[in-house]
Formats: sequence, structure tokens, C-alpha cells
Amino acid sequence: MEMILAGLLDSVSPASLMFLLLGVTIGVLVGAIPGINGPMAIALFIPITYYMTPLTAIGFLVGLNKGAFYGGAISAILLRTPGTPEAAATSWDGYPLTQQGKGEKALRMALYSSVAGDFLSTIILILVAAPLAKVALYMGPAEIFALISLALTVIAGIGTNSIGRGLIAASFGIILGLIGTEPVTALPRLTFDIYQLGSGLSLIPVAIGLLAFSEILIQLEKFAGKGSVEHSANEFSTKLEDRMVSMKEFFKNTKTLLRGTLIGVGVGAMPGLGAPVASFMSYDQAMKRSKHKEEFGKGRLEGIAASESANSSVVASSLIPLFVLGIPGNLAAAMLMGAFMIHGMQPSPLLFKENAQLMYGIYGSLVLASLFLLIIGRLGLRLFCKAVDIPALVLYPIVIFTCIMGAYLGKSSMFDVGVMLLFGFIGYYMRKFDYSYVALLIGFILAPEWERKLQQVVIISQQDTYMFFTRPVAMILMALTFFVIARTFWTSINSRRKKKAEQLASSEQAKNG
Amino acid sequence: MTRIKRDSIAYLVVIGFSIFMLAWGVPNQTPAYPGYGASSALVPNVAVGIMLFMACLSLAIILIAHYLKKPLPVAESEFPEDLKDGGGFTQIGRVNMQYLATVMVPSILFVIAIEYIGYIFASFAFLMFLQYLIGSRRWLQSILLAVILTTVLYIIMRYGFGVPVPGPQLFE
Repeated sequence: MEMILAGLLDSVSPASLMFLLLGVTIGVLVGAIPGINGPMAIALFIPITYYMTPLTAIGFLVGLNKGAFYGGAISAILLRTPGTPEAAATSWDGYPLTQQGKGEKALRMALYSSVAGDFLSTIILILVAAPLAKVALYMGPAEIFALISLALTVIAGIGTNSIGRGLIAASFGIILGLIGTEPVTALPRLTFDIYQLGSGLSLIPVAIGLLAFSEILIQLEKFAGKGSVEHSANEFSTKLEDRMVSMKEFFKNTKTLLRGTLIGVGVGAMPGLGAPVASFMSYDQAMKRSKHKEEFGKGRLEGIAASESANSSVVASSLIPLFVLGIPGNLAAAMLMGAFMIHGMQPSPLLFKENAQLMYGIYGSLVLASLFLLIIGRLGLRLFCKAVDIPALVLYPIVIFTCIMGAYLGKSSMFDVGVMLLFGFIGYYMRKFDYSYVALLIGFILAPEWERKLQQVVIISQQDTYMFFTRPVAMILMALTFFVIARTFWTSINSRRKKKAEQLASSEQAKNG
Repeated sequence: MTRIKRDSIAYLVVIGFSIFMLAWGVPNQTPAYPGYGASSALVPNVAVGIMLFMACLSLAIILIAHYLKKPLPVAESEFPEDLKDGGGFTQIGRVNMQYLATVMVPSILFVIAIEYIGYIFASFAFLMFLQYLIGSRRWLQSILLAVILTTVLYIIMRYGFGVPVPGPQLFE
């Protein structure tokens, strides 16, 4: 109880509150800018958290992520250009409302739905994470090793059309994660006599390069190809009913909000899925169960409620596997895991035992971030709408310069800037060639822990190769890993066959017709 | 160039890298086995092995399809002209060396220049040059942006975090 109180008091300290507020505000602003998403914002801002206390740093990054999720809805509603991929479903009903002059109403509904989904999901995280972590404490190195193997396999499927390419990317990430001092012999490994690599590759330049710099390279190409995108200024209706969301309108969507939140929690808690899956799933369910199906896509508030409640609830629920098992469920969680590691902590079930005060402080910050999102979202609604109008010619130099100086800031090292540029280049080619940079980054983050657990298994078992057969949970998890690989291959072969059959049928039809 | 050709080139690069790592990189860049625990070369070898196996398998599938002259799905045989956004994670499109160089070359030059002429001059020149390359022709706006960004980051680094700015110092 004392720990809980102390943690909560830490979360309301002036520094924590100030950075949390700042995180939410910056998050909404950057999320509103098309092309900048939560993980990218976290990568850009992680370097400055070096200089904060662990709670302030995690609170700031959590606030940033929560803000960015709502911010994505702003450009989706006003421009039909989702600021983040998960806001795509929001644009289907949000943009038609903007065209009707009800953009402000749509933004308000998105805000309330985001806050509701996020708040409920945070409560669920608080209720389940600690008890689950207690159960997870019974897992030994063999089980954790098997679990990380499973997570890496599931994650290899994200962001690419081919599990083969996903596994190549994850394996490459593992190799990069192993560069540095080898844990058993304490001698350098894979450093190629570059002394700066003695302590391994830092997460910050790698993440900034892969997430932010390569994204800017791609966007710059799009921008240069098409020129600046002009859009007409949005006009908001001045009628009160077109601007505000009444209590009646909000509570009419309670069922949709709850369903969306539950979908978001379920999807977020499973590694490998993500907010876009949650929002599309929730939108689909809302449409199927609605009495006014025909109104979806034409400006129905229910559609916005479904999408926003689901994608925002992923933010907190994706922390469940991170806090319980030390495995990041998605990119944002991976970046938060990196932030924990920067501050000398390894996310695992032991966190609740060893850093209980900090964990309760983070819980406090998570709840407060929802509250701040509501306040900031309401007060700055008109201001955030302006963020979508920032010209690309101004935005890109700012982001490129921030990437370079952010990479330097971590260790005050120009070598890290070179690493960032190299990974920007690698990330650019990975995106172009359909290799998952998400798998690479998560492989990079998990590799040291994966190897450490393997070493523990080998040392404890005295090099007994059959050790896994004596651990049923580890065996089941390893079997699941192979099942996931086999199933993904099977599905991809089947879908190729289907595609070919469909093509042949259509070409025959064209010949006959 | 079709996507199949580009995938083949990528797989060949992965195969080349894996063979280099297996034959030279891992054996020469890992400490000797100390006699307990797992060898420090085990995990790198497994990871490189997975890369090699997957790349060979994928390349073999492409080659078999090519020699059997099986019709390939349109999406795989033709190269999409527009950039395709696959759920925000994958973007397939032409590699445009010009735009890649537009950002990479000034950035590399900036990293080199900063060591010689210091943060302030290098940053200002870099931002001006970058804005010009990406198409900005509003000089006042460009100068203002370059000055503001350079100054704000200088203040944040020097006085906010107490981090020395890179390169020779102008104000001691």
C-alpha cells in the first residue's frame, strides 16, 4: 500500500506532470501531421529522456504516444489523410462530416472516444498486469527463451507480405543486437575492430534511422514526385448542434465504445497485431451490428467512436505483454522497452517486485495522461487543426535536422550520427524491398535477452540438449513457434494459388467474352 | 525492373552477406569457446543460418516459377508506378537515387563539416542547402528557419541538457 501511495505521489510531482502534459501536447501536434506517427515521435524524442528521471521519461513517452494516437484522427477527419495508419477507419466517417461543416463535432467525438477507450484500457492494464506478472514469475529461462522465440516469429509477419522476408529481417536484427561485449566471456564480438562498437549499437540512432529518417526519405520522394498537396480550407459550421457532441449523442454510442475498447484491449495484448487491426475490426463490428448500416461511411458518429475507442485502447493494452513478460507487442511498446533499458531497467515480471514504486508511478501517469488528453484536446482543438497545414518544405528540414541532432544527443557522439544515417539508408531499402523494419527493430531489442536466457538454460542444464523436453510449457511454446511458421507458409502458398486461379479464370473469361 | 527481379537481387545480397558472415565474420569476430555455456558463435550462426536458408528458399521458388514458365500474379510481375502503402509499414516503389542523394549527401557532408567548422556554421549551411535542394525558393523563410532551428537546438543542448555541441566551439 505504501508503495502504491509513493508511486502515485511521484506521478503527481511537478516535473512528472509538466513533462506528461508536454508529452501529450507534442503527441497530438505531431500525430496531426500526416506522416509522423507515435513510434516515430517516440524515436525522435527518446534522446531527450536521457536527462529525465525514469518515471518522468516513461510518462513523457507514454503521453506522447497517447497524444499521437488522437492526433492521427485530426488529419484523418479534416483532410482524409490519416496522420497514423490506425486512423484510416476514422476518416471514413470523419471526412464526410467535415464536408458537411461538422468537422468540429467529428473531432470532439474522436477525442471523447479516444479518451474513453484509452482510460478503460488503462484500468484493465492496472487490474491485470500485476497479477499476471506474479504468474509469469514462475516461468524459468527455458520458458522465457521459448516465449521470445514465439514472439519473434509472430512479429516477423508484421509489415511485410512474406514471412520469409520477415524472418530474414528479424534475424538481421538479432545479429545487430549481438554486436558488442559477449556476456559470458566479456570479450568483444562482431565489432570488426571498431572500438565504438565495444558497447554495442545504441538503440537511439538505430531507431531514429529506421523509423524516422527512412520515413522522411520515402516521404520526400512522394512529395517531390507529386509536389505539395493543396487542400481547401475547411469551414466549420457555427451552429451549436454541428459543433458539439451532446451527452445523448455520446451515450447512444456506449455499446460501440465498450465493444471497441474490448477489441482494442484484446488485439493490443497479443504481440504482433496492432492498432490498425483493432480499429478496422471494431469499425466492421459496429457496422455489422448497427441498425443504420447504410449510414456508415457517410458521416456517422458511431463509426468514429468504433475506430477511435479501439485504436486508443491499444496504447495501454500493448503494455500488458511488456510489463508481464518483457516482450513488446508492437513498435511503440518496443520503443518504450528501449526507454526502460536506457534507464537501466529490463522490463520483466520482476519489475513489479524490484521497482514497484516506479510501476505504480507509471500507472498514475497513464491515468493522468488520459485526463490531460481530454483537457488538451478540448482546449487546443482549433490550434491542432492548424498543425495539418504545416508545409512540407518547412516540416522535412525540421525532422531531418532533429533526426541528426537527436542521434548525437544520446551519447554526444558523432559516430552515432553516422550509425543513424546508415540505418536510415538501410530502412529506406527495407521499405522499398518489402522487408519488415519492425521485425528488425524488435529482433535487435530482444536479441541480448534471448541469448542470455539461452545461456542460462545451457548452463543450468549442464549442456543437456534434451532440457526442453523436461519443461512442458517451454515445449508447448516452441511447438507453437514452429506451428506459426508452418501455418504462415501454408497460408501464403494457398493465397498465391488462389490468386493464380482467379487470374486464370478472369483471363479465360476475357477470352470467351 | 520487375518486382521479381528486385526480390532476386535482394535475396542474392542476403545470401552473399550470410556466406560472408558464416565463412569469415562470425568465426573471426567471436571470442573462443570458454568451456561452459553456449558458444558465443551459436546465436549469430543460427541467425545467419536462418537468413541464408530463407533467402535460398525464396530465390529457389522464384527460379522454379521462372523456369517452369508459370504465369505470375500481376501484382508480382509488374512494378507498381505509385508508392503503395501497406498498412503504414511497407512501401513498395522505385528507388529514386536522386531524392535519396538529396538527403543523404548533404547529411553526410554535414557530419563531416561539423567537425571542422563547428555546429553553428555547419547547421546553418546544411539547413539552407537542404531547403534549397528540396525545392524551397523563399529565401527569407529559409534563412529564418535555419537560424531558428540552429539556435533553438543550440540552447536546448548547451543550456537545457548541458551537452557540448559537436565540433569546434564558437562561444566558450
